[in-house]
Amino acid sequence: MYLKHLLKIRKTVGFRLTAWYSVIFILSSLLLFVMAYFFLSSALQRRDRKTILLELGGLSTKYKTGGMISLKKELKIEKKIRKKNPLFIRIAGAKNNTLNIFLPYQWAEFDLKDLEKIAPNNNRKWIRLPAIDDKYLLEVASTRLLEGHWLQVGMSTEKREMVLERFRETFVVIMIPLVLLGFIAGFFLSFRSLRPIRQLIGTVQSLDIGKMEARVPSSGTGDELDEMVRLFNGMMEKIKTLINAMKGSLDNVAHGFRTPMTRFRGMAEMALQAGHDAEFCREALADCIEESDRILTMLNTLMDISEAETGVMNLDRKVVDISALMDGVVDLYRYVAEEKSLSIHMSAPHGLSVAVDPDRISQVLANLLDNAIKYTPAGGQISIEAYKRQAEAVIRIKDTGAGISHEELPMIWDRLYRADPNHSLKGLGLGLSQVKAIIQAHNGRVDVVSKPGKGSTFSIYLLADL
Amino acid sequence: MDDRVKGLQTGGDDYLIKPFVFPELLARVQALIRRVNGSTEPTSLTFGDLSLDLLKREVHRSGKKLDLQPRELALLEYLMRNAEKVLSKTMILEHIWSYQFDPQTNVVDVLVSRLRSKVDRDFPEKIIHTIRGIGYVLKTSS
Repeated sequence: MYLKHLLKIRKTVGFRLTAWYSVIFILSSLLLFVMAYFFLSSALQRRDRKTILLELGGLSTKYKTGGMISLKKELKIEKKIRKKNPLFIRIAGAKNNTLNIFLPYQWAEFDLKDLEKIAPNNNRKWIRLPAIDDKYLLEVASTRLLEGHWLQVGMSTEKREMVLERFRETFVVIMIPLVLLGFIAGFFLSFRSLRPIRQLIGTVQSLDIGKMEARVPSSGTGDELDEMVRLFNGMMEKIKTLINAMKGSLDNVAHGFRTPMTRFRGMAEMALQAGHDAEFCREALADCIEESDRILTMLNTLMDISEAETGVMNLDRKVVDISALMDGVVDLYRYVAEEKSLSIHMSAPHGLSVAVDPDRISQVLANLLDNAIKYTPAGGQISIEAYKRQAEAVIRIKDTGAGISHEELPMIWDRLYRADPNHSLKGLGLGLSQVKAIIQAHNGRVDVVSKPGKGSTFSIYLLADL
Repeated sequence: MDDRVKGLQTGGDDYLIKPFVFPELLARVQALIRRVNGSTEPTSLTFGDLSLDLLKREVHRSGKKLDLQPRELALLEYLMRNAEKVLSKTMILEHIWSYQFDPQTNVVDVLVSRLRSKVDRDFPEKIIHTIRGIGYVLKTSS
């Protein structure tokens, strides 16, 4: 159980981040130490050797000026001065036999006999003599005096080794809390930076189709994670709107079908009841057919709309003159308008063409004209005009009808939305949804401007065929 | 005179000199089509006391001339050619306007009622009948 938990932790991003952070932190401190150690050690060595060479130079000058006597006198003085920082000094004969030697008592034991076996040289080659009882070395430089004598000056590495040892010890003492600090800092950092992700996970887990309100709190820092949170929230908002719209239209569709279906059933039921003559039954059957036609038209239109909306509508595009399309539709409604004493005024330039499916666009114009006629009281005017604006062909259908209130405007494109609450006017409530869907399937736009009581103007924008 | 002879001799079926009126041209073309088809395509349709002159585009009922507009005339012709047959609204819509879709307002109803007001209203016998739920038919009332 514990192991399983541990394995699970090992897989988390947080753990990996922490581990990486600690490893990199520790490795870089190690590297830093190694470099510092190397530089310190070489600096100490350089300092020691410089001291040795200076002494060697000084002594050999003394020898040159005053001979062996002067040199020995100097050595005695040196001994007194250099009590704290003593040097090893040896004078050897021509055959490298020790004539005079000075080895400070503080130093470890060195087998000085070995020096007689190592031939001294003049070209600054260092002799390194290991100690008998410990790890220190005696570093010795030599120079040739007159008469074949040799002068050697040396120093034990003990002093600098001790400094380095202190350095190593300090490092070990510092490294333990440093590793701990690295791990804690890494953990803290990954914990902090992964907080938005944990919040995101929590929010997604709490989401439900019915409960789309949950949002991830934004840190407001503007970094990548904040951006992701912002995008996620935006996406959720869109999904919520879509789901609500879908629910709304499904509710509308269900509601829209309930009334005609109920009516349909009622008619059939009435006809079935005993005691009716054939004529009554015939009438009832005719009613049923009319009602079922209505339902069928509704279904077909709904399918048409969703076909157009999902982009699978088959558009048989042809280059057509807009005025020809308008002529046809106006002709279709001429008598209907005449019956209602509405005047339809049409204006369109010849030669303004669009590449569209003529049947579909005729249907769009018919729907809009139908609405204009339906919602304009007798004696009103309807105008349908087309013009070119930049690369677009614009068709405008304007009426002097009831208009649409500001609150209703966004809803008129919804499926089965009906402007009159008691449905006294004939219609399915699908006309404008179909208009929008077909125009969008043609990559066009449609909009409306309306003033209640004054009338509405619907505009269609299609890409003109140049 | 030379042009007419030349025109007919070089393969023309008929020759019409300027100035002419369009109805004459139309009548001549229709006459030629009739002859070519070898059919006895009538130049007029009759149904009871109703007659439709296809060439003159004139309608008479009981000897009285009826004033019909082009679409009304087209509908009457369609009904007369298919007398005693029920024509659905969809069929009428497609035949008269060549539209496939169903307009929300029933433009066919409006057209039929206009036609009816001219053909039936002032006459005792009604010949345009509504078959509810199906369509319209031209028949003698029985």
